Amino acid sequence: MTERLILILATLVLALIGLLPVAAMLKETLIADGSFSLDAYRALLASDGQFAVLVGHSLQLSFLTAVISTLIGVPLGVLLGKTDLPLRGALTLLFTAPLLVPSYVLAVAWFSILGRTGLLGRVLPDAWSQEISSAFFGLFGCTFVLVTAFMPIAMLLTIAFLRTVNPRLENAGRLVSGWPRILLRITLPLMAPAIVFAAVLTFLLSLGEIGVPMYLRFPVYPVETLTQFAAFYDFRAATVAAAPLLLVTLIILGFQTGLHKRVLELGRRTPNGQVVVVALGPWRLPLFLLVLALAIVVVATPLGALVVQSSSLEIYKVALFRAGDSVLRSLAFAATSATLLAVLGFFLGYLSERRTLPIWWANEWLALLLLALPGSVIGIGLISLWNTKATSFIYASPAILVLGYVAQYAILPMRVVAASLGTIPRSLEQAARLSGAGWFMTLREIVAPLAGRGLIAAWLIGYVFSLRDIAISMVVYPPGSDTLPIRILTLMANGAPSLVAVLCIILIAITLLPLGVAGLWLKVGAKRP
Amino acid sequence: MSAIEFRSVDKIYRGRRVIDSLSFMIEGGERIVLFGPSGCGKSTTLLLIAGLVAPDAGEIRIDGKVVSTVRRIQLAPQSRGIGMVFQDLALWPHMSVADNIGFGLRARRIAAAERLRRIGDIANLVGLGDYLQVLPGELSGGEQQRVALARALALEPRFLLMDEPLSNLDAALSRRLRGEILRLHAELGFTLVYVTHGREEAQEIGTRTIELAETGAL
Repeated sequence: MTERLILILATLVLALIGLLPVAAMLKETLIADGSFSLDAYRALLASDGQFAVLVGHSLQLSFLTAVISTLIGVPLGVLLGKTDLPLRGALTLLFTAPLLVPSYVLAVAWFSILGRTGLLGRVLPDAWSQEISSAFFGLFGCTFVLVTAFMPIAMLLTIAFLRTVNPRLENAGRLVSGWPRILLRITLPLMAPAIVFAAVLTFLLSLGEIGVPMYLRFPVYPVETLTQFAAFYDFRAATVAAAPLLLVTLIILGFQTGLHKRVLELGRRTPNGQVVVVALGPWRLPLFLLVLALAIVVVATPLGALVVQSSSLEIYKVALFRAGDSVLRSLAFAATSATLLAVLGFFLGYLSERRTLPIWWANEWLALLLLALPGSVIGIGLISLWNTKATSFIYASPAILVLGYVAQYAILPMRVVAASLGTIPRSLEQAARLSGAGWFMTLREIVAPLAGRGLIAAWLIGYVFSLRDIAISMVVYPPGSDTLPIRILTLMANGAPSLVAVLCIILIAITLLPLGVAGLWLKVGAKRP
Repeated sequence: MSAIEFRSVDKIYRGRRVIDSLSFMIEGGERIVLFGPSGCGKSTTLLLIAGLVAPDAGEIRIDGKVVSTVRRIQLAPQSRGIGMVFQDLALWPHMSVADNIGFGLRARRIAAAERLRRIGDIANLVGLGDYLQVLPGELSGGEQQRVALARALALEPRFLLMDEPLSNLDAALSRRLRGEILRLHAELGFTLVYVTHGREEAQEIGTRTIELAETGAL
């Protein structure tokens, strides 16, 4: 009984913080002067063609990013997850790094290389650097930066789902064929739902991206939503502008509902997590050099450029003086959200894995929708819901930021916990129940200790994504409560590039710090007898 | 009045009828073997007796009292007086042997001194007295088997359910442990419901065999 109550409560919390704001936002767009009206939508569609242009840009950018990220990420995932390539672990960590920092930080870094006054501009002839710089500001630059930011999604999902392919099926193929054909005809088709899922997720995340297109001045639809809100403070126009993004997300998620279910089933069907390793033979060194070159271009170059720009200690002092309060706020908000996300993710992940109530599927779908929705839409929804006299204590406080982070990123810790629980045989819980332990005692003494690493990972992933958030923060942060990503974005317009670079380095450092601490702690724990 | 009674019980998993109108009675103190091919619902029958899953049709009684009906657990697993040895043993890997055995005693808030005494007694009974502070992962297959047995017996259950407990052990060890199970049954007097698909094992353990067909019917 307690189990059911708590799991239903966790579901209601997700609905309250995620679904209600979206519903409130929709209601706002459909009511004019107290009665039902579609006028706002008519006005939006009748606008001078700008609507179609912006939507076209958004779809173009999302499509290109999704396709290129998948085309690079999947082979890279196979090389890092299934072959004897040297330094696989280190390379996987390196390629994951861009996913951990806000994507516009990468744009800033690339600008310091490809911009007219950037590192490349200093060595190339003027005409060339101008050409490169103008190409960078537009669809090409946006796609390039977003591919480097989101490519790890396809790579990581490929590595994870390679473990779901039954080695016996591959071994049967090896009796009659070589590895390239087995990978193409057996391994990849068996994990095709996960690959398509990665592409769809990348598409949706690119669709909601704000920071990179804003910085690289490529007009896309989500920026329009934000402009209505931030520049003109026309809240009704902003909510109406956000609605088509919600519609597109719903349509795409509707089409891939079956796919999502198949991916979840794939994830539960792990034959001991064993992977048959492909020996690369004479290709080992050339492929290693190729992957290393890609890592240098995609990861080391932009991050290295930031380091080069921020080499003076004096700038660090200035940066901490001007943005120290934002750093502390970011840390506090991200840590609070991560803790809430880990707790909520634990119960929702438990429900998803154990499926003790039929509503588990509704949670999965809602949480995925919330991740896929552009952050600005969630932000506008939060304002629609909480900006009332009775709830102004939430609206006017950082609590609204935390609510937004928890809503948008709930699925990440939820899935991490579910994957972790999937490795714990159900019989361990059943044995505890038969021994007389209640549900809480079973969770506290059996499930939580055994899923400890998963819980730590859930906290970390919640922390990283809350810390890097920009879309929700930009819409809902109360006066005087800006986060570090917001402060950086503000300084981009009028601050010195070296100051922006230093703040980006600080942001990366505070992102990686808990990851490093957790890594060390787990390493020490593993060595203990 | 029978100790355990199944009346026309059905169980369906993902559209597949695992148990089809199963009825049987078990008397107190009996040694019953549930015997049949893989997938015939033997393990599910144990889970149904334990109250860890509910039937989709029919009812289950313990001592004449209805404990499970259609999709409803009327009496919670921990209140049925049942100890169980799972097929995978289900030992908690992060707890020592003593903690594994004493977990149920702690859940029932038995005082520490009494708890330690009972852990010691039961560990000696199954020959684990020297291994109390060891983690299960450091023990051999046979020793792990004894920990699972000790844990199941710690709460002095009236019914002991064993789900193919010896299937992963070599023949000699399996024979020796079968002897120990019979000794413990004679000493403690519980009702034993034992699942196996080995005919020799079934004949040695059981005073009576319930043979399940492929569809989980008698």
